[in-house]
Amino acid sequence: MTGRAAAVRIRKAIALVNAVEDGAGDEEITPTEIAEAIRDCLELREVDDVANVRRYLGEALDAVSDGMPADFVAMTLYAALGALQEGGATSSSN
Amino acid sequence: MRSAEGRGRTLDEAVDAALIELGESRRNVDIKVLNEGTEETVVEVTVIDQAGASGAAAPADGKGELARALVEGLLKHMGVRAQVTTRPGSEPMTLDISGRDLGALIGWRGETLRALQSVTNVMVGRHLGEGERIIVDVERYRQRREHTVREIALRAARQVKMTGDAITLDAMQPFERRAIHLALEGDPEVTSSSIGEEPERRVVVGLRKPAAE
Repeated sequence: MTGRAAAVRIRKAIALVNAVEDGAGDEEITPTEIAEAIRDCLELREVDDVANVRRYLGEALDAVSDGMPADFVAMTLYAALGALQEGGATSSSN
Repeated sequence: MRSAEGRGRTLDEAVDAALIELGESRRNVDIKVLNEGTEETVVEVTVIDQAGASGAAAPADGKGELARALVEGLLKHMGVRAQVTTRPGSEPMTLDISGRDLGALIGWRGETLRALQSVTNVMVGRHLGEGERIIVDVERYRQRREHTVREIALRAARQVKMTGDAITLDAMQPFERRAIHLALEGDPEVTSSSIGEEPERRVVVGLRKPAAE
């Protein structure tokens, strides 16, 4: 089940970023929390099993640090998730 | 612009009543909830001006046309045959994508649609003002989901009033949770709050505690 845990963690990071943009008005999410969620992904060894996943996650983390728009961070995380899935990982989507 | 008022026990019934009167499908209308009560829901359904909604009429709004063209190009590269239009009078600006078999563009719980919206905002971002965003909707999925979760919220509120027990709803996306909070904010008997962490954050509907004297 390569990539399942990574996919779950990346999805969590994406959900946090989306919550910033779509704001339900019932929570306050800080860039630190998003950065933490991305670091949680990077801690998994399985992100090295598929090409580019670590690179995209690193770019997403840099984007958070640089204060880039949430949509840019989300897009980079989607790229990581896509790379993971194309790399043969299993996921619950679709 | 043609419009009609619809009444029904539920939101769906009210919308359907108005649609029957107009002889239109949900795709071609904008829905405004006038009153959402436990006994009756009243909506105003307005037919979208198809000419005004088309890309050809968009030059008055350069950003809208630019966003529309970019998304159309993106979909073309993806091999998706679909029509992209700007929703007239929408705030924030909304792009409607319509066509056949667009389920894949929506994805599991709207995940692909959300990704498409992120990409769109990144592509158009430098042409947008501070805090300005573009909403992307496929076959009115977002609108339909908002209506569905409002229905769920009202049903939960009725049950909470009957039993007195709080109800925890399924995990939902932020825009869905917001729709629930808005649907219940006017109800003096119930209250809504969210618990948990993304992406498992859920709304809890409970009885409103009487104000302390």
